[in-house]
Amino acid sequence: MKRKNAALSRVFTALVFLFLYAPIFLLIVFSFNKGNSNIVWTGFSLDWYRSLFQNRLIMRSVYTTLLVSLLATAIATFAGTFAAIGFYSLRRRSRNVLNTVNNIPMMNADIVTGVAMCLFFVAFFTFWSGFAVWFNGVQSVIVLPGRLTLGFGTLLIAHVTFNIPYVILSVGPKLRQMDKNLVDAAQDLCCTWMQAFWKVILPEIKPGIASGALTAFTMSVDDFIISYFTAGSSASTLAMTIYGMTKKRVTPEINAISTLLFVTVLFLLVIVNLRAEHAKPERRPHPISQKLTRLLYSPRGKWLRWGGTGVVAACFLTAVVLLTGATNAQPVVNVCSWGEYIDEDLITRFEEETGIIVNYQTSESNESLYSLLKSGAGDYDVVVPSDYMISQLIEEDMLAELDYSQIPNYDLISGRFKGLSYDPQERYTVPYTWGTVGIIYNTTMVDEPITSWSAMFDSQYAGNVLMFRNSRDAMATALCYLGYSLNTTDEGELREAFALLKDAKNRGVYQSFVMDEIYQKMEGGNAAIGAYYAGDYLTMLENNEDLAFVVPEEGSNWFMDAMCVLKDAPHYDEAMAWINFIASTDANLANMDYIWYASPNQEALEQYPAYYEELYEEPLNPEIYEIMAAPQETLDRCEAYLVLPLETRRLYNELWTELGI
Amino acid sequence: MSKELIRLRDLCMAYDDELVLDHLNLYINDKEFLTLLGPSGCGKSTTLRIIGGFTMPTSGDVLFDGVRINDVPPYRRQINTVFQKYALFPHLNVFENIAFGLRMQRRADPENPGRKVKLPEDEIRERVLEMLEVISLKGFENRRIDALSGGQQQRVAIARALVNRPKVLLLDEPLGALDLKLRKDMQIELKRIQQQVGITFIYVTHDQEEALTMSDTIVVMDKGTIQQIGTPEDIYNEPKNAFVADFIGESNIIDGVMVRDKLVQMYGRQFPCLDGGFGENEAVDVVIRPEDIDIVPVEQGQLTGTVTNVTFKGMQYDIIVDFRGFKWLIQTTDHSPVGARIGIKIDPDGIHVMKKSPYSGMFGDYSSFSDEYDELDAAEPEEGSGDET
Repeated sequence: MKRKNAALSRVFTALVFLFLYAPIFLLIVFSFNKGNSNIVWTGFSLDWYRSLFQNRLIMRSVYTTLLVSLLATAIATFAGTFAAIGFYSLRRRSRNVLNTVNNIPMMNADIVTGVAMCLFFVAFFTFWSGFAVWFNGVQSVIVLPGRLTLGFGTLLIAHVTFNIPYVILSVGPKLRQMDKNLVDAAQDLCCTWMQAFWKVILPEIKPGIASGALTAFTMSVDDFIISYFTAGSSASTLAMTIYGMTKKRVTPEINAISTLLFVTVLFLLVIVNLRAEHAKPERRPHPISQKLTRLLYSPRGKWLRWGGTGVVAACFLTAVVLLTGATNAQPVVNVCSWGEYIDEDLITRFEEETGIIVNYQTSESNESLYSLLKSGAGDYDVVVPSDYMISQLIEEDMLAELDYSQIPNYDLISGRFKGLSYDPQERYTVPYTWGTVGIIYNTTMVDEPITSWSAMFDSQYAGNVLMFRNSRDAMATALCYLGYSLNTTDEGELREAFALLKDAKNRGVYQSFVMDEIYQKMEGGNAAIGAYYAGDYLTMLENNEDLAFVVPEEGSNWFMDAMCVLKDAPHYDEAMAWINFIASTDANLANMDYIWYASPNQEALEQYPAYYEELYEEPLNPEIYEIMAAPQETLDRCEAYLVLPLETRRLYNELWTELGI
Repeated sequence: MSKELIRLRDLCMAYDDELVLDHLNLYINDKEFLTLLGPSGCGKSTTLRIIGGFTMPTSGDVLFDGVRINDVPPYRRQINTVFQKYALFPHLNVFENIAFGLRMQRRADPENPGRKVKLPEDEIRERVLEMLEVISLKGFENRRIDALSGGQQQRVAIARALVNRPKVLLLDEPLGALDLKLRKDMQIELKRIQQQVGITFIYVTHDQEEALTMSDTIVVMDKGTIQQIGTPEDIYNEPKNAFVADFIGESNIIDGVMVRDKLVQMYGRQFPCLDGGFGENEAVDVVIRPEDIDIVPVEQGQLTGTVTNVTFKGMQYDIIVDFRGFKWLIQTTDHSPVGARIGIKIDPDGIHVMKKSPYSGMFGDYSSFSDEYDELDAAEPEEGSGDET
């Protein structure tokens, strides 16, 4: 009986560990996969690691991460150590209170800390700009910058802030273990307070400081949430970049970088734990370190010590100067777009051609971009919203008029896509891509080809249908099916469409409501039918040949994403250069090939089949090309979104909440 | 020997309105071994810390060689300290611990008096080795601190302080952490070292035996005030009040009335004694040391009582005797069984008469005999937590 229990408990333990580590193990294994699938193993290769190191965005974010972590660790260690000493010298009761206060940020949800910091910074910037105007008005000796933005500085401040408690937590116990007469003893033996600190306190608490610093560094490298809210548009940490890359799909490249991150953090943790382990038994000074110490304390050592201090200080100063210099001296443009929505080589090419650094970030949806902009945290130059969002932004006076004289490539844009309803006078936008919405289905999982939106509400496919997880697109499928306008404001029509959705949901038609998760589901054959964008279908097709796409006969939504510049953009001219570059035929061809969304550039549209043939040495399937760049007759069946009146937007929200996802 | 070195004038110290030192006045002679003795919280450690410069008095002055040194930081005083639990630097070895003070010292350059220079390495080495010899730890210089026994650490702490050649050495309960046997050895060792280096030692302890063994002068303190200053013999034989009598050795303290000079009345009986100078019929406290009482047959006794408790102590028996409800402790080599009626006799020089004081009636009754022993034996906890700040 007992034996059986032991075996059982062993199995249980094994299961727990399997559960904990299997996902990470899988991730590591597939980072070495030759193909770009996370399900099918096609052979060993280090290609993903190579492409990782060639990826400028990733390398830049690695640099940012290391810099911010190192600086934050250094500052937090310094501040935290002295704070701990301060705590220590207080009376017990105030010390306990302070320790509790110190623990709160560590226990607090990161998201709360992140949002709070973001709000604080934005509020401070608002206050500051008022102050700067006043200050520059009353005197003219010092000119204060009027406009502060989220960026490396705020990121660093945030990291220092959340690191300090960890340092205090690990230095505090060391101080308490220390004989409290040690400092008195040192002072008794000719030491001033500072000397006592260097010669006695510091050596005693050094292990605590070191493990505090290591913990802080690990936390810094690791952090995503707080960074996300405080980094602004010009700085991205590694974790943020990875998150941006996963918007569509986890590629083995992400596996590779995640593996490296995991190994780094693991390594740091092992060091921290080994140190803790090591500290218990008698620690004998290493002969070499003993010799070094002796050398340092010898008369000649004085020069060594001062020299060492000098070198460290110089390094620090250089880092700070480079850091601030790099951000000030070089021209920059801050771009916010969607995940996997650009051929990243274009960024590199643009930077090489113009010397302008591109800070490229991504957002999840038009709505989240909108709230980011409204909160003041999204401090971008160029954004790429969709048609209806553009009208809303124009309506709220958030966009700047473009200087088309700086964008000669605008002439290449097809006349079909100029002067559309969202920007009838062609003042604010340069089209980026366009496409249609349709139904993607797995031919092996349906009985006959899908042609109508009715499939989205059909119990026949119950549990195998994927619906949009945003109110506008989801409602649009129902409105199309019912034959109503996508832009209807009639409450009766909207409620009818909603009833259809709700009924289908109750009947269990929908497996789930998704956005970019649809990639995994459709590619893996986990769902039969899903509504999504044509360009994304083509990307899925590369990984699953059984998928088909249709723009249903009832018509559908066609959309245009266009580049706009925000009002008061700090880098207006750089933004013009970027827009002009992206509007070029070359860039449009590269993008079309990379993201499979149709280009608005007439030349690119015409040249793409030839471009494809040259690149892949096989002709482009005209059916595929038709799906990507729908012919005009398909577009005629479709309708673009218009911005809805506030009342209707409220109704949408209300209905969406009622649907309860 | 009799030159005054340190004077404490009207010293007051308060923590949060609580008076720890109450207008303390004390002078300390050069080359004297002075002990501050008292129960925990009596202010003895605070006094020591004020002399060392680690604590600023709330009011009053500290004079060193006639100069006020209140504002002189510890590292500029010619005073060094041996701390409770030693406070050795764990990251340094024995040699470096002892050399620490010397390495920090700067003195005027003989060639260029305007400049301050470090002590030369050979001198440091010589002085440390010399000190190791004084504390009988030759050959231990490369040992790690945590590889030493308690007694050895203790001696390193003394050497670390003495190597700086201070004029005064302060010792804060230095033997508290040692076991009894080692403590006795170290008492003798400390006295020897003091005589060898010939400087003033100011020693803080709550252990009356330690104080009696080593000191030239004992200062008995309680509640922030000095109760008595004197040689060990004075303190023992002529305690000034019930507190001192009780704190130093064992005492039976009985209410009495001074009939006239050299005649005191207790229990309605008159006893001849050697004390005088009290008012006629003045109420007094009478101290009778347990070893000064002779047990005699009942009919010969000045007083008679019943034995209630007998404890064998090796050299003698501790006998508790009930005299009309008041219990006395008697130390005798003769055994008397519990329940026996005995008589006692006290010689005039065994009786010590004290004026009444606020302590009267608080001590000297052995009714709660066993409890009181426990209390005395329990090692005193760390000196009052108020000193922490």
